[in-house]
Amino acid sequence: KRHRPLRRSSICFASLLCSYAINPQETLTSEMNAETSDAPPTSLVDRTVVPGDTVLDLTAMANQTIKLGAGLRQDCDTISVMKAGKLRLSKPNKYWVESSHKRYVPCVEDTVLGIVVDCKPDNFLVDIKAPTLAFLPVLAFEGGTRRNIPKFEIGTLLYVRVVKANNSMNPELSCMDETGKAAEFGQLKDGYMFETSTGLSRMLLSSPTCPVLEALGKKLSYEIAVGLNGRVWANASSPSTVILVSNAIMNSESLSGLQQKIMVEKLMQRLQ
Amino acid sequence: MEYLDSLTGFRLDGRRPNDMRQIRGEIGVVAKADGSALFEMGNTKVIAAVYGPREVQNKSQQINNQALVRCEYSMANFSTGDRARRPKGDRRSTEISLVIRQTMEACILTHLMPRSQIDIFVQVLQADGGTRSACINAATLALADAGVPMCDIVTSCSAGYLSSTPLLDLNYIEDSAGGPDVTVGILAKMDKVTLLQVYFRSGLDS
Repeated sequence: KRHRPLRRSSICFASLLCSYAINPQETLTSEMNAETSDAPPTSLVDRTVVPGDTVLDLTAMANQTIKLGAGLRQDCDTISVMKAGKLRLSKPNKYWVESSHKRYVPCVEDTVLGIVVDCKPDNFLVDIKAPTLAFLPVLAFEGGTRRNIPKFEIGTLLYVRVVKANNSMNPELSCMDETGKAAEFGQLKDGYMFETSTGLSRMLLSSPTCPVLEALGKKLSYEIAVGLNGRVWANASSPSTVILVSNAIMNSESLSGLQQKIMVEKLMQRLQ
Repeated sequence: MEYLDSLTGFRLDGRRPNDMRQIRGEIGVVAKADGSALFEMGNTKVIAAVYGPREVQNKSQQINNQALVRCEYSMANFSTGDRARRPKGDRRSTEISLVIRQTMEACILTHLMPRSQIDIFVQVLQADGGTRSACINAATLALADAGVPMCDIVTSCSAGYLSSTPLLDLNYIEDSAGGPDVTVGILAKMDKVTLLQVYFRSGLDS
């Protein structure tokens, strides 16, 4: 059985940026590094990982700065996985786990679709599929003053931007961009909203344009608003177009580019 | 009754003492839930659904620096040989709910989601021994499917001692034979034990 040798007190940060300068390893025995069940760290990149997998062994990397993104945490000497997904590496030193879930983890500067749950004197309580409700201050609108507070009913769909996201406080939203302009934020009227996973939202927002959106755009005229929290709103001139666009998007998560094009064509044939 | 054939060394269902039953897992089986899993160990089938992290429904139970983990275990009426109506809050269900909650709480990184709630619902669809272990395995898969941050995967199995031999992964007949049975839950990569339960009924004279 392995037994953990005494370690010198080393600095452990549980934060996104970690830099680890290591002193020579006289105190660590060879047992620490003999993890026969773990693959060598670099070969886990672009592979599916589950919670508990060790991604990097920091004892082997001295004086390097590594940036940890979502889904990874530092446990003294190793970087291990917190969420199941695909491990990604952005050269030279940024690691993160890409996963697709139904719940959303709020992150600053994300654009999301929220539903108003309650109206308080100072802010609206908005549900963005996060662990806690988000606050949207009543003045966070272009040209917003105490006199022209918008009247949102419960259930209103809003396209908003996350301004503060801290796991010890409720997230804060805004209907303005950084410069203070409205920039398409605000209430989304008409149309149809459906919920998907966060992975599909990211795929829809990727550039170059996602194949399914391109294929739909060649024949149909529609508009969509994609929230990084897994909510998508679609609108078009006729209900059948809206339904077709929604169904095409909902089907496209696990399909490749070519399969998406074929799927869209099959759906369009039904419309004719 | 002979639980271990003396000539061949096979158990009642043809396994060796150290053999587990066939396992099968599937995730994403409950569309409405944030994460779900169906786990089978031989004939024992268990379905787990996870909701969360989401707003705490009962504000008085809210914990300010970590997430609240709630777990509910139930057996379907049709899960055992006799179709029997089980009351919701009976002792065995409450005990197993508590055991599963404590086991999962050990591996969920609750400090990352303060003032939120994670609900784990486990239901036994078919019970053939080892339901506790199957529930823990299913709950782990459902939590991973929901994207709840965890430090490791919890794996669980049961074992017993019959006919002077330790037997792995008891089925219902072996479980109700009267020998001791132990359920162990282990964090797979970190090699730490999160659950250890032994159950044994003994008469005064034995």
